[in-house]
Amino acid sequence: MLWLCLRFPALPLEVFPPSESASVVMAQQRVVCANPAAEAAGIRPGMRLAAALGLAPGLQVLARQAPREAELLYTLACWAEGFTPQVSLAPADELLLEIGGCLRLFGGLEVLRDKALGELQAQGLSVVASVAPTPLGAQWLARAADTAPCLSLLDLPARLANLPLAVLGDLSVATLRTLTTLGVRALGDLFALPAAGLRRRFGRELPQWLAQACGELPDPRPAFVFPAQFAQRLELPAKVADASMLQFAARRLLASLAGWLAARSAGVSECVLQLEHEDGLPPTDVRLAFAAPTAELARLERVLRERLAHCRLQAQVWRLCLIASSPEALNARTLGLFGQEAALALAPVIERLRARLGQDAVQGLSTCADHRPECASRRLNEATPADPVLADPRQPRWLLASPQALSEREGVPQYGGHLMRLAGPARIESGWWQQGESNGAGDVQRDYFVAATPHGEWLWIFRDARGWWLQGVFA
Amino acid sequence: MAGQGQAGLSSGFPALDAELPGSGWPRGALTELIPAHSGIGELALLQPALLECVKQAPVAVLAPPYRPHAPAWAASLPLERMLWIEASGKEVAWAAECLLDSGALGALLVWLPAQTDARALRRLQLAAEGHAAPAFVFRSLQTLRQASPAPLRLALSGSALGVQVRILKRRGPPCERLLCLPVERPVAQTRLAARLTPVPVLHVLQAAWA
Repeated sequence: MLWLCLRFPALPLEVFPPSESASVVMAQQRVVCANPAAEAAGIRPGMRLAAALGLAPGLQVLARQAPREAELLYTLACWAEGFTPQVSLAPADELLLEIGGCLRLFGGLEVLRDKALGELQAQGLSVVASVAPTPLGAQWLARAADTAPCLSLLDLPARLANLPLAVLGDLSVATLRTLTTLGVRALGDLFALPAAGLRRRFGRELPQWLAQACGELPDPRPAFVFPAQFAQRLELPAKVADASMLQFAARRLLASLAGWLAARSAGVSECVLQLEHEDGLPPTDVRLAFAAPTAELARLERVLRERLAHCRLQAQVWRLCLIASSPEALNARTLGLFGQEAALALAPVIERLRARLGQDAVQGLSTCADHRPECASRRLNEATPADPVLADPRQPRWLLASPQALSEREGVPQYGGHLMRLAGPARIESGWWQQGESNGAGDVQRDYFVAATPHGEWLWIFRDARGWWLQGVFA
Repeated sequence: MAGQGQAGLSSGFPALDAELPGSGWPRGALTELIPAHSGIGELALLQPALLECVKQAPVAVLAPPYRPHAPAWAASLPLERMLWIEASGKEVAWAAECLLDSGALGALLVWLPAQTDARALRRLQLAAEGHAAPAFVFRSLQTLRQASPAPLRLALSGSALGVQVRILKRRGPPCERLLCLPVERPVAQTRLAARLTPVPVLHVLQAAWA
């Protein structure tokens, strides 16, 4: 077992929009978390609000939003599923990932840790990552900001010995004071004391923690239960009126989705980001569609950016909700437009085009078994091989949207002058049963000719009971 | 012209290859085609090269002037390796840039609107550079005299014997010759040539339609 503890020391601050000026999060009249600008002014966590305001008069004071922190931690747990199936929440600001089983998959501890840290940084989160063979050991190292990985249970007591008592976290102030008067400054001093005596004096918790941290006692952690369907909400720190401002906030949801999908070897070809408004207005749906099922964060983000750039908000947005209702398995034949090779290279650009031009703007073309030219082509979302029987080199590559009437002079059809007959007639006839069809082609009886204009244009024209018509161009 | 620049993609017409730098359509660069009319064989001219391109990677057709007729396309190129994109106005140049930039295409065919400016074309040229795919840009007749960043520009017109090609611009010395290329047509060309000589007379035409 090897545990990676991800600690988010600035989580109370990071649920709010980032601010350049000094700002702090406050709870019960004390500073919980200060941003770099506030820390530069000398403000430290635990300080009284009045003292903090004395140091920085222009200080922005935010009330702590514990539910929002819990929500974000939950979102992060989903994201962490992309690394390992064994994730555990350690409120209020820590995640524990059992990574012993997946190191090989990622190519080593360094690679895995760098990948995780990189993705978290991209979400605008500050994080401390520690590695230890026990969950509690990893947590304590993280609280002391000791990021050098400890890989062996034998090294662990020595590594923990130097940590200050503050890493114990849940210790009461009275206990802490007693320990200090006993001359206990670091965990090493605690290890040196007999467990029975500690138990008698401070209750059975303290020696139990020490034993669990060193791996002498089991430390079962409740496994995070991953949602079976992905639907996550994220309340925005401030109401947003401009759609492009949502990209950053939505990134955390998308990262969470990417992790959730990776854990299932699944991808989505469609997901919906709901922008929720106040005052009972229905939410605005932003539909993200992909050329092939994907679980790749960069692609999710790219399509979202394109969609948000063209989204007009009718009202301010206060909450986002990302829903992926139909994940698809990625391993099997989920090739989409153009198959595997292009799914890799071309799919991202197809998605970009579709996001901006519309889902139907990018398509494949195939033949359709119908003699009427206007019904012989079919647009598809996937490119499929055409039926070779239906291929016809004697027909033109281009068709007009609808046949254009041609005049006739001295028995010769006209198009920029007299038309010359090159081939034809070829009769195309359909049946009365197609008369009532909705596609407008209906029942046809036509004689088709290949004709050339004086300028050398080759045209496909036909004659029916109503006269001459231009239908195609031999380009 | 053969020794100049990166090896081109053979056009399939020896007479044209002989006049093109790199002995063929330039790769990773725009080729501007300005047909006098549509229907003169402007796509038939590209057919041999496209057949090569589509083997490498999918070919994209962007903002075509008409609806594609699948049976005819299926007869000349594998449809499962073709991508059709509809766009209009400024979106055409944007989409072309995205597609070229991806480097994932075998070739791009794009019909640019007349109002596309030189700046947009320069962006396209930059996006095309460094990739192996040729980019065929169809432009309207009114852009014939405008300056363009494309290294190769051809004016096309119809004739009885095939497509007439005038090279407006190429890398190297200007080309004065007018080329007539025998492109593939649905009816043998000789038949048209026979009918055209010396000048089509009305009663011959009338007899043909009668």
